[in-house]
Amino acid sequence: MDFMQFVWAGLGNGAIYALIALGFCVVHGAMGIVNFVQVDLVTLGGMFLYSASVLAGLPVPVGLLAAVVGTALVAMLVERLGLRPARTDHPLVLVFLTVGISIVLRGAIQMVWGKNRMAVPPIAEDVPVRLWGAMVLPQTLWMMVLTVAAIGGLVWFFRGTNLGLAMRAVASNPRAAAVVGIPAGRVRMAAFAVAGACGGLAGALVTPVTTLSADVGVLLGLKGFAAAILGGFGSFPGAVAGGVLLGLVESLAAAYVSSAYKDALAFVVLVLVLCWRPSGIVRQ
Amino acid sequence: MAKRVVWLLMFFCLGAAPAFAEDVIKIGAFFDLSGRAAFIGTPTKLVAEMVVDAINAAGGVNGTPVELVVADTEGDPAKAASIATKFIYKDKVAAIVGPTLTDTGMNVKKIVHTGRTPIVMTVGGDPVIMDGGKFGPAHWVFKSPQRSSTAVERLFTYLKDKGLTRVALLTADDGFGKDGLRWMEALAPRFGIEFVAKEAFGARDTDVTAQLVSIKNANPQALVVWTIGPAGAIVAKNRQQLGMTIPLFQSHGLPDPKYIELAGPASEGTRMPATKLLVVDELPDSDPQKSVIQEFVRRYTERGYAKQFPINTHSGYAWDAIMLIVKAMERVGTDPEALRSAIETTKGYVGVSGVYNLSPEDHNGLGVDSMVMVEVKDGRFVLAQ
Repeated sequence: MDFMQFVWAGLGNGAIYALIALGFCVVHGAMGIVNFVQVDLVTLGGMFLYSASVLAGLPVPVGLLAAVVGTALVAMLVERLGLRPARTDHPLVLVFLTVGISIVLRGAIQMVWGKNRMAVPPIAEDVPVRLWGAMVLPQTLWMMVLTVAAIGGLVWFFRGTNLGLAMRAVASNPRAAAVVGIPAGRVRMAAFAVAGACGGLAGALVTPVTTLSADVGVLLGLKGFAAAILGGFGSFPGAVAGGVLLGLVESLAAAYVSSAYKDALAFVVLVLVLCWRPSGIVRQ
Repeated sequence: MAKRVVWLLMFFCLGAAPAFAEDVIKIGAFFDLSGRAAFIGTPTKLVAEMVVDAINAAGGVNGTPVELVVADTEGDPAKAASIATKFIYKDKVAAIVGPTLTDTGMNVKKIVHTGRTPIVMTVGGDPVIMDGGKFGPAHWVFKSPQRSSTAVERLFTYLKDKGLTRVALLTADDGFGKDGLRWMEALAPRFGIEFVAKEAFGARDTDVTAQLVSIKNANPQALVVWTIGPAGAIVAKNRQQLGMTIPLFQSHGLPDPKYIELAGPASEGTRMPATKLLVVDELPDSDPQKSVIQEFVRRYTERGYAKQFPINTHSGYAWDAIMLIVKAMERVGTDPEALRSAIETTKGYVGVSGVYNLSPEDHNGLGVDSMVMVEVKDGRFVLAQ
């Protein structure tokens, strides 16, 4: 009974971590860098949903779509106006650029949407449903359903579309990809768009539960980053598995071990996994 | 040519500014205007400006106008320390108000001590006014918000009156939550309160259902949550999700219309200790604070602050902090040591957050009677029965 309650809580959070981890992985695959803007893309997803559904009065599903598309557009602008003008492939330069852009974005978000906490409407009304003896919010179910759908969409994108195939080509061998004429700029911009869509979706799904503020993405982003590492940074199935595992460990640790040390336990698991299998839990 | 004259004029005006500034009393004010507590620091700054305007409109301190030197701590203890140093040695302020967070406040204690400048803080935690040992010197430090222990006493008195003595605790793992936990553990025996479960959570956690299930299984008569900000709303929502009927009590950090907005219907029935600010209309006319608070609310609303930052339990702290300083200045002027002693001996100042009676042992000066228990009913705060 209680066990299922913990599992649902873990799965809901895990789905969000997985989405954010995927965003990290996509950019890492295309450019070989850790994109710190990812945390603010999560915040932006929530902000766009708030603007669309609360300020403009649109239905929540439309707001969700606006959040995904809007965040993807912002992410593309970040690549085009923030990273590309640097004209460099040096990972360290690019990583520090993303750190800087992240700070600028957070300041801009605070100026546009203010410093106060905001309530964001959920997709379906907050009436808990009973599932295998546990009380589950519809929003938690939506988190899982839409995360699975997003993963399906990504699989199709990377296997079935030219752009997706081009991105995989760049990821596996950038030089060979350049030799056969794959435009690197477009691939990078696409990677940022996908990362933005993942982050935006995560933000729009989680903020109705957590409430919204200009720095809501920071801790979630950190957990997503940990999930990506857990899965072997860069591996897509690993990111999903890492996210779900992290969510479950957190929830079960809080329930059965100690709620004061649950974050510490989650990171102990992270360290153990890295010692036991440095390349992550999923074999590449 | 004309342009050059204008430039010259501007240059002279700038050069002449300090000449005018000689006859003002400077008060340094630093709050979290950005950073993690910006939602508390920004309205605090607005209230500080409002009270200074009110003082100057009434003729200043014995005829001398007050000037507020505002700065942003960004929630960063190091930044707060450098601002405090600037206030004391460059701006030469007579006194300081702020900062917003307990951690930043702790980092300023030593600086005001060496700089011999009285400071009235607007932070929640008690360690800032604890003296000696690991807490550092508090000789020059005062604070206007109630102590955590005062809020705990208020809450426990209420729980005891209602016969709710089997209590489950759920506290945040940040400074505020730990401070509350420490005081609740220390004061529980005096009120005959027994803890049947103690759980913790991160102030930024997204879900606390796991902790709540453990609490539910311990079968307490009441659930006490000690946190500030949105985490309190998440607890309320999770409690509703699990269909729990155990009465919910929150800390004195949460009485804020924002809590009702964020938690929605799940906030209904929550009870918490609060300043009288939120329930001023329900106070008896005999309460000396009633007219003071009503005046405060009128000014706050008139300035249009209420739209962006609805009045909450904390709104009055900056008002009281500056008034404590100004009342003392009216008595003894701005000599640092005299001003410090005058603040320390403030008696019977009727403020927005309570009636202040300070002493060398008590650098806060608010008693349990400065707080009331409020309850969320039909989406607004009312006095709890």
